[in-house]
Amino acid sequence: MNSETLNTLDNYSKNKYKYGFVTDIDNEKPKKGLNEDTIKFISFKKNEPEWMLDWRLKAFSKWKKMKEPKWANLNFPEIDYQDIYYYSAPKGFDKKPKDLSEVDPKLIETYNKLGIPLEEQKVLAGVAVDVVFDSVSVATTYKGELEKLGIIFCSIGEAIQKHPHLIKKYLGSVIPAGDHSFSALNSAVFTDGSFVYIPEGVKCPMELSTYFRINAENTGQFERTLIIADKGSYVSYLEGCTAPKRDDNQLHAANVELIALEDAEIKYSTVQNWYPGDEDGKGGIYNFVTKRGLCAGKNSKISWTQVETGSAITWKYPSCILKGDNSIGEFYSVAITNNFQQADTGTKMTHIGKNTKSKIISKGISLGKSQNTYRGEVSFLRKADRARNYTQCDSLLVGNKCGAHTVPYIDSKNNTAVIEHEASTSKINEDQLYYCRQRGLSHEEAVSLIVNGFCKQVLQELPMEFAVEAQKLVSISLEGSVG
Amino acid sequence: MNIQDNYQINKKNIFFSENENIRNHREKLMNIFENDRFDKKNNESLKNINLENFLDFKYKYLVPEETSVINNNHDNSYSIVSVNGQCTSFKDDKIEITKILEEDYNDFSKNNTIEKNDHFVNLNSLFLNCGFKIVVKKNNNIKIKISNIVADDDLTIFQKNNIICEEGSSLNLIEEYENKNNSTSNILNVIKLEKSSQLNHFLIQDNSPSHNLIITSHSSCKKDSSYTQKIYNFSEGYVRNFHFSELLEINSAADLQGIFFLKDNNISNNKTFVKHLAEDCKSNQVYKGILNDRSKATYFSNTHVDQVAQKTEGYQLSKGILLSDNASYFSKPELKIYADDVKCSHGSTIGPIDENAIFYLRSRGMSKIAATKLLISSFINEELSSIDEEQISEIIQKKLVRYLSKVK
Repeated sequence: MNSETLNTLDNYSKNKYKYGFVTDIDNEKPKKGLNEDTIKFISFKKNEPEWMLDWRLKAFSKWKKMKEPKWANLNFPEIDYQDIYYYSAPKGFDKKPKDLSEVDPKLIETYNKLGIPLEEQKVLAGVAVDVVFDSVSVATTYKGELEKLGIIFCSIGEAIQKHPHLIKKYLGSVIPAGDHSFSALNSAVFTDGSFVYIPEGVKCPMELSTYFRINAENTGQFERTLIIADKGSYVSYLEGCTAPKRDDNQLHAANVELIALEDAEIKYSTVQNWYPGDEDGKGGIYNFVTKRGLCAGKNSKISWTQVETGSAITWKYPSCILKGDNSIGEFYSVAITNNFQQADTGTKMTHIGKNTKSKIISKGISLGKSQNTYRGEVSFLRKADRARNYTQCDSLLVGNKCGAHTVPYIDSKNNTAVIEHEASTSKINEDQLYYCRQRGLSHEEAVSLIVNGFCKQVLQELPMEFAVEAQKLVSISLEGSVG
Repeated sequence: MNIQDNYQINKKNIFFSENENIRNHREKLMNIFENDRFDKKNNESLKNINLENFLDFKYKYLVPEETSVINNNHDNSYSIVSVNGQCTSFKDDKIEITKILEEDYNDFSKNNTIEKNDHFVNLNSLFLNCGFKIVVKKNNNIKIKISNIVADDDLTIFQKNNIICEEGSSLNLIEEYENKNNSTSNILNVIKLEKSSQLNHFLIQDNSPSHNLIITSHSSCKKDSSYTQKIYNFSEGYVRNFHFSELLEINSAADLQGIFFLKDNNISNNKTFVKHLAEDCKSNQVYKGILNDRSKATYFSNTHVDQVAQKTEGYQLSKGILLSDNASYFSKPELKIYADDVKCSHGSTIGPIDENAIFYLRSRGMSKIAATKLLISSFINEELSSIDEEQISEIIQKKLVRYLSKVK
């Protein structure tokens, strides 16, 4: 590799995280640590009915007996669960503000800085947003419009109050509290998140979106999202995340459950840009996320698209259980790791019904001293006649101190099912670089162009609003000066 | 009888039990067995295994009466008949065959490449009762055929072989396993290739349903050497083929191929692990399987590229055909890459025989069964046609015909 390439790489690995500011706002927190009192405090703060508290305590008692899953190719010091605040709310949130004028202007400013369309002017963009700041949902826009169609889009806290029958029926039905230790932890202490219910036959006319931000220090964020698409409905849901720069590691353990009934379709897109830590690997978010979708009905479809650029540690496997006949699961992912980031991400497709189809496209890019692992499982159960899977996972290595790993698990118990898996790993092609340079691009621009091309297959799956942002994010993640 | 009892009772029949270091090592292994929870889900060596038979067996070993080595001097080829894992010592100016020695035991127990939690390897070290060592001397080009015979029922054979190819030598090694009794062979092959040497290793496995065969092998390649392994598994009993390959020095290569043909309740576990530890090395792993009836197979493969191993080429391919709806195939092709200037890929497919191809053949007048058979043959044709030993090619063809005759 020539010296110029090395310089460019140097620049890349020194990229700056522009969402790293802290909002100076009074917080209300319980004592540090995890015990029954903490859970009771959270439940009390959220004004929850008793059955919800019982549910949490049950999950907590399960969590106490569990150990963290160890399969991932990750290296991090043990998490001290007693050194974390499990709830943090900007002061004055005991009662949810009725409209934006009641919200602390500092908060609004924060979200404006992040470029989130909270205010009316930006509502024209046609995105309904639920914003979660630390542990509480700040505001949900566009509510009235959605209500006319019968769509419920609110924070999960509100849903527990107003729609207990739906919560009781579906919460924990896809990810049981005792699934593994992070799901049990989340079930015990989850603070907020979004709840979406799309009634029968309704196509949601706009993108629903949640924005998560961790602000307070030593705080864990445990959000819980539940999306139910009733028969014949459609919804596209976007999720974005950021956090300020801090020297300590922060914990984020979310649970996301999707349920698609007959003929329903859910499209879930994530742009994850948590603070990844600095050049020396100090600080950053530990991101342990469980995302699972259940294609419960016939002809249903769940599609996951994710762009992962942040987090010191990413542990995330958005998966689909294809239970209904003819159901479809899709997974598109770009994971970029830089500096000392570690990502162990992938998907799990479980084919149960007949004629089920799944498609996995995963692109991993490793820079600096990072480790990037794709871990995916595709299984065909005995009754999954004529099921079909196609998996492609490609890795790109930039620099010789990083690692790229592929760990697929493929299990077929049905002789009419067809499964195909292919993967490749290589560095940036010198010929392509040379070609771009010849046509007048700088070295940085050329690398950025090639990387964007490498990810294109995934990025084009994102909704319009996100696609532009994601493309920028990819460039920023590589950034020296290219924007 | 459990492992502890077996060991205590038969201690005096087991190799090297007087050596203190080895005894200590075995004590440690015994502890592993006592404390392990035998987690079938996460331990690759236990997948699809019946734990009861595995932990509870009866140790039995007989020293054979007769073994032989025949030297066909005119074409540099040797025939060895190994009975119950033993072989007579032999020496000429090209090769040397001896019993396995104490130092060979240690040299293996220090080896980290083979995972510590592989219980079959641990069992092999615990109960080691036979084995031999073959050294091919410098700059010789020879051919050895070994017939591995188990001469009695209910034997438990724990065999360890060392094969060393000295500088510039070239060896074609053909091993046959065709046994009809209820024995279990647990074999560990440790293969060393010195500078510029070459080994073509063929393993033909065709045991009856009651015979279990467990083969674990480890090869290490020095500069410019190359190791090729070709496994043809027609066995009706349980077969496990695990291979670990280390490419230690520049420009070495490993090529691992395996084909397995399963039917009835047969189980086959396969694993290949290639570790690239130097620049400019090449590896290739190809495994193909045909599964009929209620058979089950697993294939784990792993390509590990160290940070110093630039200019590596590592390829992997696994393909499975399921002929019956009760057969199952699990595959886990892993890539672990720490260097950037590499070309690595893997591909894996599992599925039925292509219906369009069957339709095409049937529309040209073939019966469905004939079409299926033709497509199975063509599925593995690439591997079969690459065999350059005519003798082996004929044997394989015959066995293939026999397998196909049972396909309905």
